[in-house]
Amino acid sequence: MGIEGPEKESLLHGIRILDLANEKACFCSKVLADLGAMVIKVEKPGGDSSRRMGPLAGNGPSGEPDLFFLYNNTNKLGITLDIESEEGRTLFVRLVEKADVVVETFPPGYLKTLGCPYEVMSEVNPGVILASVTGFGQTGPKSGYKSCDLVASALGGQMHVSGAPSTTPLRAYGEQSFYAASLFTAVGILLALIKRRRAGKGEHIDISSQEAVAGTLDHVLVRYLYDGIIPKRQGNLAWNRSSFILPCKDGHIHISIAAQWETLVEWVAAEGMAEDLPDEKWKDENCRNQNVDHIMDVLQRWTLAHTVGELFEIAQAMRFPWAPVSRPQDVLSSPQLLAREFFCEVDHPEQGNSLLGPGMPYRFDSFPSGPVRRAPLPGEDNKRIYCDDLGLSEKEIERLSRLGII
Amino acid sequence: MTIWVFPRKRLRGSHGWGSFDKAAGNDSEISGKYLGGKAHSMIEGILSGLKVLDFTWVLAGPYATRILADFGAEVIKVQSLKTAKGAESNLNGYFNTWNRNKRSITLDMSRPEAKDLLLRLAGISDVVIENFAPRVMANWGLTYEKLKEANEKIILVSMSAMGQTGPWKDYVAFGPALQALSGLTYLSSFDDDQPLGLGYAYGDHVIGLYGALATLAALEMRLRTGRGQCIDLSGYEALCTLMGPAIGGVSLNQTPAHPQGNRSDHIDACPRGCYPCRGTDRWCVISASAEDEWQALCRAMDRADLSNDDRFRTLSVRRSNEEMLDELIGRWTAERTAEEAVTLLQEAGVPAGVVQNAEDLARDPHLSARQFFIPLEHPVLGRTLNDRSPIRFGEDETVNWKAAPQLGEDNRYVFRELLGLTEEEFLHYSEKGVIS
Repeated sequence: MGIEGPEKESLLHGIRILDLANEKACFCSKVLADLGAMVIKVEKPGGDSSRRMGPLAGNGPSGEPDLFFLYNNTNKLGITLDIESEEGRTLFVRLVEKADVVVETFPPGYLKTLGCPYEVMSEVNPGVILASVTGFGQTGPKSGYKSCDLVASALGGQMHVSGAPSTTPLRAYGEQSFYAASLFTAVGILLALIKRRRAGKGEHIDISSQEAVAGTLDHVLVRYLYDGIIPKRQGNLAWNRSSFILPCKDGHIHISIAAQWETLVEWVAAEGMAEDLPDEKWKDENCRNQNVDHIMDVLQRWTLAHTVGELFEIAQAMRFPWAPVSRPQDVLSSPQLLAREFFCEVDHPEQGNSLLGPGMPYRFDSFPSGPVRRAPLPGEDNKRIYCDDLGLSEKEIERLSRLGII
Repeated sequence: MTIWVFPRKRLRGSHGWGSFDKAAGNDSEISGKYLGGKAHSMIEGILSGLKVLDFTWVLAGPYATRILADFGAEVIKVQSLKTAKGAESNLNGYFNTWNRNKRSITLDMSRPEAKDLLLRLAGISDVVIENFAPRVMANWGLTYEKLKEANEKIILVSMSAMGQTGPWKDYVAFGPALQALSGLTYLSSFDDDQPLGLGYAYGDHVIGLYGALATLAALEMRLRTGRGQCIDLSGYEALCTLMGPAIGGVSLNQTPAHPQGNRSDHIDACPRGCYPCRGTDRWCVISASAEDEWQALCRAMDRADLSNDDRFRTLSVRRSNEEMLDELIGRWTAERTAEEAVTLLQEAGVPAGVVQNAEDLARDPHLSARQFFIPLEHPVLGRTLNDRSPIRFGEDETVNWKAAPQLGEDNRYVFRELLGLTEEEFLHYSEKGVIS
């Protein structure tokens, strides 16, 4: 196998994914599409319900695009298909025959009622990998329960430890349980592809958003399972009380006092604002942690005399792991992200605009990232897939379209 | 399901790579000499035979390599007496959690011989992975070019906070700082005045997941084309990928996204929120978006009257009377335990959930039915409970799982059996404190 030829190939070149996922996991195949997989988004005629998440897309009163949908479906092709109809199901099976991966978010058992469970897919295509993403997984007493991001965040343990002692538990912004579940699913799919090379057979991957949240809790479960401690909400103070957020002249900064305490005290003292912090007793980390309110009070009088940018720059020059508490508008103007050309411009000629979105978080030496294709319109690629790939005639497509199947 | 058809075989020769690729069906011919000694297979799994030289520490990197180790990769964690402290101290629960199924070797990196040994180890590894600031690996002379000389097909995964390039490339940050920098902390708050954010380093897991994803994608390509890879993963960018819609909104000059607590402009649900239940610090969440969910909520609360009430009949009037509605619901939930309220609601068809704390999770009957927690025996810590991978295949990947290694536990195995040092050489390096 030559090295020159595939040099320009994308990492997942040749992998074909049918994406039947709604908002719960559309990020999964977006991530794989960015890596070069061919992703065909299959929506019911008229478009998937996830198009209507967010400030209503195109069809909404304001005409603003639905940003959640647009972001999570870039680089995908779009076809429409009513898989609940007899003919639609037949077409679906033909698509499955040609696919490497199917991603879906239907309630457990739904595909079976359609006569199209994993076993049937596996019969027509033994290599096919089915990834099912649901709120609670395919098995267990609550697998039939209803979920959404808020429910997964609560049941997965994210909310209980987020927020202040005086507030209600707080959900993470931006459908994080869906993103976490999508990333686990994407990793699972790549594992299944590698396994298929050995075993010659596909897999049914079962992802639960609750577990995706519970599996990304850092110290929370560890402290309970090893020390019997039930972590609680403590605002922006870290569990080990060694990092927190303080206000500045023009915003907020995330500060850590875990390491290099004496260097920090010298810095503050040089400006005459260290108060009692140079005391010997504060050199003891335990002592600082037990009296962290006092430390925060003193440091806050100092941070309020500075801008976020000043503190960030000086702190980082001394290798303190500090960072500004950025707003989305700050992110978009970050010199680091701009220098790395992180943002991708996505043209939306139909809306007459283009928007910027995050690109991939990694660079591969063999694979320069290309232009981003905007999320598909419903059924935009019907002809390409049904005619060119499955060999249907245009007449046939017209007929299926009249019947509301495509 | 499938039993592993390819036993682990190790190859020696000028190119150490290849055993994984061949076992993965990339090449039917298995040739070369097997290494002496029997294969101490850690775990049989999808990635059996994949050797990962792991320099990562704390959480983001170790989480990435834990994913690989959970599925059978031979992850060799490079430690030293000097660095095995805090989160990297082998005998604490935190270390045991993020480093299960891995091996541990110890090298004193201030010794030039240690670098030579590492290059030789890279020669027989498939993946080298690290999450230092960019200068560290370069200072050790372990650049991609050097590693590639040792092993043409090596996959190098660098997972620094800011990426390998750019004006901030040497900046340091852990998960929570990157959560702040990405906008996640600001937006996960109730208002502009007091940023709260998440109470844990969620970001490190996200970075770890991307690390595993990039590694496997590069491996997929290598199995297809035979080509290695150099991967520059930025933790900052990883977190920013979770902010796509908010960033897109700003670029369109829309009103920038702002903190909304548990409410959301983006989701058409009302009621939707977190409600107090009986007991101390007990809560449940409820989110009713579809009309049938709202009807079901009224039934579950035994308040069929509400669905005909002019103040609540449609989603848009419910939105305008949200406070009143939240109070009504809050009074109903407060009379019940969170579990009772949620069971009533879910049985009626309303998306709802208990706000579970760590103890609730450990006792959650649903998670337990799915065997989300599994016991692992640790020689010092005793029986430990571990949350398994949320990636579930048809077969149980946890058979043969092991607790985290003790410091330097695998020195002899890795240097003698994998690398093929003679007993004399091994003793020499050990006595000189290179292997320490």
